[in-house]
Amino acid sequence: MPKIEVHEQLLYSLIGYRWEGREAFEEALTCAKAELDEDSDKSLPESERILKIELNDTNRPDLWSTAGLARQLRLYHRSTPIPVYPFFSRPGQALPTTYRVIVDGVLKDIRPYIGAFVVKGKKIDEAQLKDVIQTQEKLCWNFGRKRRSIAMGVYRTALIQWPVRYVAADPEATRFVPLGMEEKLSLREICQKHPKGIEYGHIVADFPRFPYLTDSAGETLSFPPVINSARIGAVEVGDDELFVEMTGTDMESLALAISITACDFADAGWTVQPVLVEYPYDTPFGRQVTFPYYFQEPLFCSLSRIHRFLGEALDQEACLAALRRMGVRAEAAEDREARASRPEPGIRVYPPEYRNDFLHAADVVEEVMIGRGLNNFAPLKPQDFTIGRLTPITLFSRKVKELMIGLGYQEMIYNYLGSKKDFIEKMCRDGSSIVRISNPMTENYEYVRDSVLPSLLMSESVSGHAVYPHRIFEVGKVAYRDSSENYGVTTRQYLGFLHAAPEANFNVVASQIQALFYYLNRSYEVAEVSDSRFIPGRVAAVLCGGVKVGVYGELHPQVLENWGITVPCTAAELDLDVLKDSH
Amino acid sequence: MDIQNTVKNLHPLEVRIIRQYKRGDELSIEKVEAELQFKPGNGNQALSWLLGKGLIQEIRREPLVFFELTELGELWAREGTPEERILRLLAQEGALTMGELAQRLKLENKDVGSAYGLLSKANLVVMDEQKRVCLAPGCSLGADGLPTAGPGSQRLRLIRGLLERALKLREGTGKGEDSSGLLKEESLSPEERELMKSIAKKRGAADSAFRIVEREKVIYTFTEQWQAVSQALQEAGITGDEIGALTPELLASGAWKNGRFRSYNIQVPPTRLLVGRSNPYARFLEDVKDKLVSLGFEEFDGSLVETEFWNSDALFMPQFHSARDIHDVYYVAEPQKAQYIEEPWLSRVAAAHENGGDTGSRGWRYTFDREFTRRLILRSQGTVLSARQLPKAKIPGKYFGIVRCFRYDRVDATHLSDFYQTEGIVLGEDVNLRTLLGMLEMFATEVAGAKEVKYVPGYFPFTEPSVEVHIKHPVLGWFELGGSGIFRPEVTQSLGVNVPVAAWGIGIDRMALMALGLNDLRELFSYDIEAVRLRRTKESL
Repeated sequence: MPKIEVHEQLLYSLIGYRWEGREAFEEALTCAKAELDEDSDKSLPESERILKIELNDTNRPDLWSTAGLARQLRLYHRSTPIPVYPFFSRPGQALPTTYRVIVDGVLKDIRPYIGAFVVKGKKIDEAQLKDVIQTQEKLCWNFGRKRRSIAMGVYRTALIQWPVRYVAADPEATRFVPLGMEEKLSLREICQKHPKGIEYGHIVADFPRFPYLTDSAGETLSFPPVINSARIGAVEVGDDELFVEMTGTDMESLALAISITACDFADAGWTVQPVLVEYPYDTPFGRQVTFPYYFQEPLFCSLSRIHRFLGEALDQEACLAALRRMGVRAEAAEDREARASRPEPGIRVYPPEYRNDFLHAADVVEEVMIGRGLNNFAPLKPQDFTIGRLTPITLFSRKVKELMIGLGYQEMIYNYLGSKKDFIEKMCRDGSSIVRISNPMTENYEYVRDSVLPSLLMSESVSGHAVYPHRIFEVGKVAYRDSSENYGVTTRQYLGFLHAAPEANFNVVASQIQALFYYLNRSYEVAEVSDSRFIPGRVAAVLCGGVKVGVYGELHPQVLENWGITVPCTAAELDLDVLKDSH
Repeated sequence: MDIQNTVKNLHPLEVRIIRQYKRGDELSIEKVEAELQFKPGNGNQALSWLLGKGLIQEIRREPLVFFELTELGELWAREGTPEERILRLLAQEGALTMGELAQRLKLENKDVGSAYGLLSKANLVVMDEQKRVCLAPGCSLGADGLPTAGPGSQRLRLIRGLLERALKLREGTGKGEDSSGLLKEESLSPEERELMKSIAKKRGAADSAFRIVEREKVIYTFTEQWQAVSQALQEAGITGDEIGALTPELLASGAWKNGRFRSYNIQVPPTRLLVGRSNPYARFLEDVKDKLVSLGFEEFDGSLVETEFWNSDALFMPQFHSARDIHDVYYVAEPQKAQYIEEPWLSRVAAAHENGGDTGSRGWRYTFDREFTRRLILRSQGTVLSARQLPKAKIPGKYFGIVRCFRYDRVDATHLSDFYQTEGIVLGEDVNLRTLLGMLEMFATEVAGAKEVKYVPGYFPFTEPSVEVHIKHPVLGWFELGGSGIFRPEVTQSLGVNVPVAAWGIGIDRMALMALGLNDLRELFSYDIEAVRLRRTKESL
């Protein structure tokens, strides 16, 4: 969930209100599913205070900036009227503009989409510039999947000769001075030498040509998604006319990101001017798209659905009021939801320009819930009667645990991930059926255990100082490869136990197994078996009805030496899933 | 001093000392062990107990001198002193020069020289004109190899006697001597003592037969307190011969009827027992299971390894969206993919992602990747089991699981490589926001023991609406107990369920840590046997 740094003074000035005290502010944030991660340092002067806020909704990227968060809070708590943004084009209704971006057809298979707008009418100050940069980072990192699907650039319009061209350029021949450097580098060199190139260059590095933004005079704007030019692309405090563009691989999220950013600027008092993008190939929105572009579609939600899911019979007026509080335009309507047989009363919702999270009528239901206020819904005790029960394996495991305790064993509980050394090498096994993780964080957590014994031995190896005897057991899960399964892996519930003491020997563990089986009311047989973990001739396989359910015996001194254990140990392991079902 | 209490806590050894002696008597370890036939070491033990109780006090210390047989002394004891050997050789062979003596006896010249000096002073040997040494006239050796007569022979005889006694003590065959294996000075005759002065050394005793060892004998007498205690013992008839262990023999013979039982000191801390018992964290989890069962929930469980399909796709989390990045999953190396995903679920979920299918949703509008969906991972959330349960759930139905999940994250005090999640679902016509709030209140009260609850709008990719529940815990204060919501129709309808379904998850590890007095999640899975043996759950609040 993204965490943003919010300039306290900017936030409160955009909202037009400030709450008294931390608790009240935290309460206010809940309508945006936001949490105060870190309050500002009150010892600093107001103009320097920063709040750290965590946003929990991954489908509301509009909230990931000071401006966006302020908008939501202002609408909800200050009841300001729903803003009208006059600069949006709609399907079939493109606003006229002189700003154009022309797209090179070769980009279709490289980085096909671009959208843009221009802002003017104010001078950008430091707080706002920081917020724009943060928005850029958060949107492109979180929503744009680390710039892959969205990357953003901001430029000084005054230096641009229109139209702007979005072309696929030669990686070696195309050279410019990137932001943060002094000399000209080729696009390829930027990928290799510039910090942003090293970080993001891989997104395009495999293509024969790289995306490149330039103006009509051939001056460089930027190398998307990597870095701006040092001249046109270096926005400074005091600039009063800016060109904002975004490139990416998903048209809808790109358009949304553009809408969000444009609305943020508008809320701050800027005038937004549309930009026409001309594509030589088809896009989801056509070949001529004027941004900011409103592509969202209205959504109908019936009152019966709201009633059913909120447990409260709200009428149209109440629902509309709730939505208005959220800043969502809606009207009373009669229509059908998908799968409904006939039209019903309900509300038609027009998603705000900066939101695209209304996929299903269910999204309207939640909007009404928050708009009305969660505190206004009284909890109701569930009425349905159901019978509770534990799984058969849990019940069986409890019997086994009780018997092990009666045999004087201490129950343990262990993690299931471990290293090759612990699970395979120290155990003198070949590890041919163990489950391995392909992306472990460290080699300590690279394998899933296929036996409880390594965990027990790990315990013994770090407990040499503890008074003897040691009798420990665990009932827990193991997993191992099994080609007969759809997943190629079987998960089982195992009992494993270990007796470490000078007096531990085969006879003792054999007696313990006998007692265990007697009280589990199951008969068993033993058979010779070869198991590299045990001393040959001092290990027995346990069979129930001819099926192997486990093994017990004296652990091999090589295994003990591998673990640094200096007392003799006996061990046993039983598959409880198999045992439970046998008789 | 509490007389009665003291009397009860006296050991039979102490009782016998108190009864045997009286005020004014001088007591020492040696005396007590000899006169009362105590086993070695018991005298020391009994006197130190009495000292500790203030019943005896030290009045003085006497130096005790012992003589310890050195290596050289042992050699001399076995083979003979240089003087003895010279005499024997001379008796056999007549006259020999000092050099010959040294050579034959394998002695150092200086040793021969000093032995000659002693022998000739004792008139046992003379030197002739050829500088040869021979027995003095009138000196003859007896059967024991020692001169039969003359004052000089006395000395040799004494030495031989001391050496042999000391050797017997060393070998443990000496009788009636001090148990330390050393010759006690007290036990030597005056002549022997005189002789020892010239032979034994305190320091640098390697070249003499005996080493002087100085010890102290501590002398005690009874204190004033003895009087009252002795009297009390008399009155109570305690002799120190009371019965200790009640044996089967005593029972069979009935002899216990004639004796009295010694009282034990019940204040002595008992010996620790190592017992079998459950693990407090595992127990805590089972207790939570029991509470949920009592609320009508049925347990479910499943495979540790799952597919992207059930873990995320079936929950309507788009395959390439930031929602997927909330947490990272572990991928299985081999095999990489499941062989198949069950139909009709695969097609229905794919349709839901692409265009909403027939769930009434717009969908995510991208091409669902049917290869990626089969990718095998270690399950990262308990909700995967909820998804799996939907196609086979009863309606109405309530299900739960406390299941091990895996997330790619660094391991520290607040993050584990694998950990438990407590999750579940509720299905039925009864399910809506208000009954969801009611159920969360029930969890808060019954499972967490909370007095106050607060609800906050939440977010999960698979529920809409979503609610977080925060509780005020009697000790921990306000914290988020869990999250919940109504499953999105894209989830439930794709899996064949047409009633509302609530999904919920609660975090119990924080409460487990508190109940066990721990701060670090890793300690819940500790390998340290002793730490686990000693860990106890605090009483419930």
